[in-house]
Amino acid sequence: MFKHLFKLIWNKKKQNFLLMTEMLVSFLVLFAVFTLMMYYYDNYKKPMGLEYENVWVINYGNAYQSKNTDSLNLYYETLRKTIKSLPHVREISFTSGNTPFSQQTNNGGMTIKGKHIDGINNYTVEDSYKDVLSLTLLEGRWYSKEDAVSKIRPVIIDNNLKEAAFGKQSAVGQLLGNDDDKVKMKVIGVVQAVKKDGNYSNPGPGEYFRTDTGSFRWLNKILVKVDPGSDAAFEGKLYKTMANYMKNSNVEIEHLTNKLRTTNYFALVPMIVLGIVSTFLVINVALGLFGVLWYNINKRKGEIGLRRAIGATGNSVSAQLVSESMILATLALIVGAFFAVQFPLLNVFDLPASIYIEGILLSVLFVYLLVLICSLYPGKQAAAIYPAVALHEE
Amino acid sequence: MLKNYFKIAIAVLKRRKFFTFISLFGISFTLTILMVLTAFIDKVINDNYPDKKRDRMLYINRIAQVGDGNMQSGTLSYYFLSHYTGMMKTPVKVGISSIFNGTNTYVNNQKISVNYKYTNADFWDVLDHDFIEGKPFNKQQVTNADRVVVISEDMKKQYFGDVQSVVGKYFEADNVSYRVIGVVKNVPVTNYMMYSDIYLPYTVSKADYKDKSYSGMYMAFLLAATPADVPKMQAEYEDLIKRVPVERKDFKHVYSHANTFFRSYVDTGREDKSGVFIVVTAISIFVFIFTLLPTLNLVNINITRIMERSSEIGVRKAFGASSKTLVYQFIVENLILTLLGGIIGVVLSVAALSFINGADLISNLELRINFSVLFIGLLVCLVFGFISGVYPAWRMSKLNVVTALKAQ
Repeated sequence: MFKHLFKLIWNKKKQNFLLMTEMLVSFLVLFAVFTLMMYYYDNYKKPMGLEYENVWVINYGNAYQSKNTDSLNLYYETLRKTIKSLPHVREISFTSGNTPFSQQTNNGGMTIKGKHIDGINNYTVEDSYKDVLSLTLLEGRWYSKEDAVSKIRPVIIDNNLKEAAFGKQSAVGQLLGNDDDKVKMKVIGVVQAVKKDGNYSNPGPGEYFRTDTGSFRWLNKILVKVDPGSDAAFEGKLYKTMANYMKNSNVEIEHLTNKLRTTNYFALVPMIVLGIVSTFLVINVALGLFGVLWYNINKRKGEIGLRRAIGATGNSVSAQLVSESMILATLALIVGAFFAVQFPLLNVFDLPASIYIEGILLSVLFVYLLVLICSLYPGKQAAAIYPAVALHEE
Repeated sequence: MLKNYFKIAIAVLKRRKFFTFISLFGISFTLTILMVLTAFIDKVINDNYPDKKRDRMLYINRIAQVGDGNMQSGTLSYYFLSHYTGMMKTPVKVGISSIFNGTNTYVNNQKISVNYKYTNADFWDVLDHDFIEGKPFNKQQVTNADRVVVISEDMKKQYFGDVQSVVGKYFEADNVSYRVIGVVKNVPVTNYMMYSDIYLPYTVSKADYKDKSYSGMYMAFLLAATPADVPKMQAEYEDLIKRVPVERKDFKHVYSHANTFFRSYVDTGREDKSGVFIVVTAISIFVFIFTLLPTLNLVNINITRIMERSSEIGVRKAFGASSKTLVYQFIVENLILTLLGGIIGVVLSVAALSFINGADLISNLELRINFSVLFIGLLVCLVFGFISGVYPAWRMSKLNVVTALKAQ
C-alpha cells in the first residue's frame, strides 16, 4: 500500500517537490511562532515572586552628596523618617536603580566551585525590601541588623540561581565567589525568583546584597508601599515632601502596576503582530494547498474512475488521496524537524529544550491538521465520482 | 501585442475564479504587510521632523572608554560636548540637548507625567521645530538661567486644557515654576534623540553642567554649512577624539563618533557591535521568510493554472510560437495579475494604516503612505510577479507539442 503511494508521489516529483517545500517553510515559520508562544506561556505560568499592587517607585536623580558618610546617612535617615511619618505610607525601602519592571538592569557574574554563572541580576536592597515587595522566602532568612557586622559578607539568592549553582541541595550556609572568585560570600537565604521584566519574562536569576554604610552615595530609588486606595492628592503631597527636602533632585513617582502594564505591552505587541502575520500566512498556504490538491484530483478523474469501476469503495478512494497528501506532509516534516531539532541540540537561544520540543510537536500537529483539512474536501469530491462519467470523459 | 496579452490574462482570471482569488489574496496580503512595515521604518528613519536639515547634520550620542576587561559607555557630559565641539571649525552650529527624563506634576489633584529635556539655544537653530505659538529661548535667556520653558502641543492640552494661548503662563514641573515662551508641534517618542514634552535651558538644570567628567546625559547635533562639508566634519571629530586623553588609568581608548542619523539611531551602545548590521539583517530575514512562503504558493498555483492551458500552448507551439515568446507572454500575464493584487494591496494597506493610526499604539506616530512606500510596494509586486512567473513559464515552454495537444 505505502510502496504504491510512494510510487505515485515519485511519478509527479516535480509538482510534489514544490508542495513539500511549501509545507516545509510553513512548518519552520510555525515552529518559530509556537516556540515563542510556548516560551511566553511557560513564563506566564510561573509565579511573579512579588506583589506590585500599591507599590510606588520614587526616582531621585542627582541627590545630596557628601564626603562625610555620617552626614550622608543622617540626611537619608531623616528623609526616611519624614516619608514614613506621612499617612498611608506602610513601609519604604531605598534600593538600587534596577527596580521591578524598569528598563534598568544591573548584571553580574559569580563563581561557584569553579563554575562561572553570568547574567545574574544584582539587587542592592535594605532590610525592609522584602516587606515592601512581599517576597517569598523559601529557605533560611532575610537580612536583619546583625548582618551589618558579620565576618563573611552575606548574600541572598533566588531559587533560579540556587538551582543553577547548587541543584537540589540546600544552599543556606554555602559559599559563593564573586565574578573573579576573589571575594567569598555566604548564602543566608533563598527567595522565590522575581519576574523583573513583566509577566512574560523568565524569573531570575538574581542575588540580593545588603546596603552598607556608603550605599546612599549611589542609590537612586525608593520603593514605597502605600495603603490601598491612596489617590493622586496623596501622591502630590508625597511628591511635594520629596521635592522640598531634596531641592537639587529631579523627582519622579511611578506606580509598579503602570510599569508592569507598559512592560507587558512591549512584550505582547511583537507577539500579536507576529500572530496576525502568521495567521494570514497560514490561510494563504491553506488556500494554496487546497487549490492545488483539488486541481490534481480533478485531473485524475480517469484513474479514479477506473479504480471505482473495478470495485474500490468511495471511502477507499478518498482515503488514498488523503494519505498521499499526508505522506507528502510527513516527508516535509521529517526534513523540517531535522532543522528544528538543531535548536535545542546546539542550544541556540538559551531556552529550555522542553520549550523547543513543545514547539516542534505543536507545529507538526498543526501542519498535519492543515494538510488533512485541505485534502478532505477534494478527497470527498473524488469519492463522489461516478465511474461511468469519469471513464466516459476519457 | 501587449493588448492581446492583457485580454488573455483577464479572460484567464475570469475562468477559474477560486484560483484567481487565492492568487490575489496571497499577493495583496503580503504586499500589505510589507507596506505597513515600510511605512513604519520610513516614519522612524526618514521622518525629518524636527531635524529637517538632516543632510547637513551629524549626531554624537555616545562616548565609550575601553580598557582590558572593562568598558564604560553612554551619553556625554555637557562640558565635554561644548568644550570639544567648540574647538571644531567645520560645524556652523552645535545643538546640545540632554536625553529625556521623567518627572511628575500635579494639577487639580490630577497627575501628569512630564518628560523634560535640557537644551542650549543653538538647539533651536540646528533643528526646525514648528512653533504653534511663541518662540524658542535665546542665548541671553540661557546665560541668565531664566526659568523659561518650551512645551509640546500635547503637554499644553494636558496641563492647561483647551485654551487659546498659553505663552506667558506658568508651568510647574519638578516643583519649579517656569514661564512658557513657546509651544511646538509634537515629536513622536520613536525619535528618541529629540522627543520630549518640555524643553528647558540647560543652565536651569539641577545637575552640575560644569562637571568635567566625560559621561553625562547630553548629546550633540552638529550642523555643517553644506552637505558636502559633512564628511569633513566627521573626520574632524574623529581626529579630535584621537587626541582626547582617557579619563582614568584603567582605560586605554576613548571612542566617540559623529554619525549620520540612521547610524546613531541604531547604535547598540557597544564599539564592537554594529547596530546597522543587526537591524538590516533582522529586517532582511523577516522579509525573506514572509515573502518566500507566498511566492512558493503562487508558483504552485501558477503551475497548476498553466498546465490547465496545455491545449492552448500546444496549438500556439504547433503554429510556430517560440518558447521565448511563450515565456514572455506568461510573465507579462503574471505581472498583470500581481499588479492587480498590488492595487488591492495598496487599498488594504491604507485601511490597515488608518486602523493602526486609530488604535494609537505609539502616540503621535502617524503612519502614512508616501511615494517611497508606494515605490517599494511596486518593486515588491514586480519582483514577486517575475519570480513566481518564471519557473512555471519555463516548465510550460518545455512542453512537448504532441503531449500538450493530446492532453485535451
